[in-house]
Amino acid sequence: MQSLFLKIFFWFWATALVTGIALVITFIFGPGRVPSRWHSSLTDTARSSGMIALAELERGGVPAASSYIESFERDTQLRACLFEFSGNRVAGNGCETFADMRDHAATSRSSEFGVKYGLVRVALVLPGSGGHDYIFATELPAGPRAAFGMDMAAVVLRFAVALLVSGFICYLLTLYLTGPILRLRQAAQQLAGGMLSTRAAASIERRGDELGALGRDFNTMAARIEELVLRQRQLIFDVSHELRSPLARLNVALDLARGGNAGNLPFDHMELDLARLDEMIGRLLTIAKLDTAAMPVEMRPLNITSLVGQIVSDAGFEARKRNVVVNIAGEEQNYVRGNEALLLSAIENVVRNAILYTAAASSVDVSLGQGTKSKVLLVIRDHGRGVPESDLQKIFQPFYRVAEARDRESGGVGLGLAIADRVVRIHGGTIRAENVQPAGLKIIIEIPTAEFTSIV
Amino acid sequence: MDRLLIIDDDTELCELLSARLSGEGFEIEAVHEGTHGLERALSRKHSLVVLDLMLPGMSGLEVLRRLRQQSPIPVLVLTARGEDVDRILGLEIGADDYLPKPFNARELIARIRAILRRTAVTGTHPLTVGDMRLDPAAREARMHGRLISLTSVEFALLEMLLQRAGRIVTRDELTETVLGRKLGPFDRVIDVHMSNIRKKLGASQGVERIKSIRGSGYLFVVRAKPK
Repeated sequence: MQSLFLKIFFWFWATALVTGIALVITFIFGPGRVPSRWHSSLTDTARSSGMIALAELERGGVPAASSYIESFERDTQLRACLFEFSGNRVAGNGCETFADMRDHAATSRSSEFGVKYGLVRVALVLPGSGGHDYIFATELPAGPRAAFGMDMAAVVLRFAVALLVSGFICYLLTLYLTGPILRLRQAAQQLAGGMLSTRAAASIERRGDELGALGRDFNTMAARIEELVLRQRQLIFDVSHELRSPLARLNVALDLARGGNAGNLPFDHMELDLARLDEMIGRLLTIAKLDTAAMPVEMRPLNITSLVGQIVSDAGFEARKRNVVVNIAGEEQNYVRGNEALLLSAIENVVRNAILYTAAASSVDVSLGQGTKSKVLLVIRDHGRGVPESDLQKIFQPFYRVAEARDRESGGVGLGLAIADRVVRIHGGTIRAENVQPAGLKIIIEIPTAEFTSIV
Repeated sequence: MDRLLIIDDDTELCELLSARLSGEGFEIEAVHEGTHGLERALSRKHSLVVLDLMLPGMSGLEVLRRLRQQSPIPVLVLTARGEDVDRILGLEIGADDYLPKPFNARELIARIRAILRRTAVTGTHPLTVGDMRLDPAAREARMHGRLISLTSVEFALLEMLLQRAGRIVTRDELTETVLGRKLGPFDRVIDVHMSNIRKKLGASQGVERIKSIRGSGYLFVVRAKPK
């Protein structure tokens, strides 16, 4: 019953029904007067039937009169009744319907006319041969003009009723259907005009029909667009800001080099900053691609245990430079469905980050195992200073840095975790950070397991 | 030799600037964090502070605000953001000039020199206009004998206006003489400084002492003394 199709269907049907009922009601209870110019001919017709019925009564008594009236009713489908002047029924069925007219005719001693159910009704006094008077009442066909009203006023009234009732219902229906569409259209225009926070009204969202579904889809779309645009805007803002630092250094280094008496110092700095810019641009492109998801990611089942092992052994060189040991725990082989290159860079970023931030001469502990709900659980823990509790979410945003100076010393550009976050989400997994007591940060990655049977 | 204090969290930039500026005859002290930077800036051992507004810990604007409560030392602000709000705010709080990052080292040196030149002793004769008295030797500004605290650039600007009291001094002249550079197309530095000076001086008999002449410059109003 919630579909728009059924709504339109039933509303139109209801309109037709109600209009019909209204017509019938005015038809039945409408004014029932018979124009006087028809009186004489109607009286004549009624009188002739009445006289026969009376003659039958006088000839063969009540049964004869009854059988005549029954045959009359059978032939014409019209009702007729013969009464004594006092009001008692002599012959005919369902005579109560004529009671009013009979009494009027008796008091006025003249013919009575009326209209009911589209039929003219006549009651008249018939003089019997025995000095008794009788009253004969009958229905007579009166033609469509009588049925639909004998005067213009009645025709206009009925037509107006039909027009008003159907018009009102159709107006409500149209309002009900086009209102939300117009409001949705307005919202779409506002969205197109740049008001990204625009949403379809809650009243549309609550609807159970197709329009409600459209409204909800519209809102989902608007929210997604807003998020994407805002994220891109923030990224561009951050990038332009981040680019200024290396550019400022390059500018000064260039000027210093021009002076000619600073030796290799400016050139070393320039080389370093150029490498940083190159790395930053490469990583930004990765993030942009991952954000828009325009690039279809090729997923294959892969052994994540060996992937992590490879990353840890590759990171050994950097770890030794800082006198850091990287421990790895978890013997069993775990498999996930994913893109090897993306996962490699994501996990590598996290591991390198941990090596950079852990205290000198401490360790980084990597553990890999089965998590809950058939997920692979990868935990990378360092023994560094951790992150302020309020910033635990923010470290996955591009260019987030707990302390700028510290990060520059360590050479990061603040994009590693942002990339890891996006990669893990593309794989249907989650990544989060926790502080560990007494000191250190734990990055917890969960990625859905692949069925072992699907490997090979 | 002028000692400069650089407060910037970019250690490498500080290293490069030290190398570059020492070649120009400056002695550099670099601090990479706000609280310590403020402490050093208040030590009275420097003739100018180069302050980055984006600092970890105490923000650059906060450092400037606290510095200005106690010291008129010239401050040149570095901004990495593309936002005008920051530099206007910096100037309103009392920075003498600003330079957006990335900047040209020669530009930085030129601006530092210009500010230092203006804040060096300029004249010897005290200037008196109406109830306003400026003593360049003592670097003191008094109104009705009451001492007014002005930053060094504000002092220099007011001095120029007083020297030519009653006549218009153009914004170009003010920028070139006091800040040592050409007036840029959207340069509002002079206007912000003027508005700061006005706030400090207040009105005289219901009329602003410094009148802004639209499209041309500023003028120090001279009142005819009641006879």
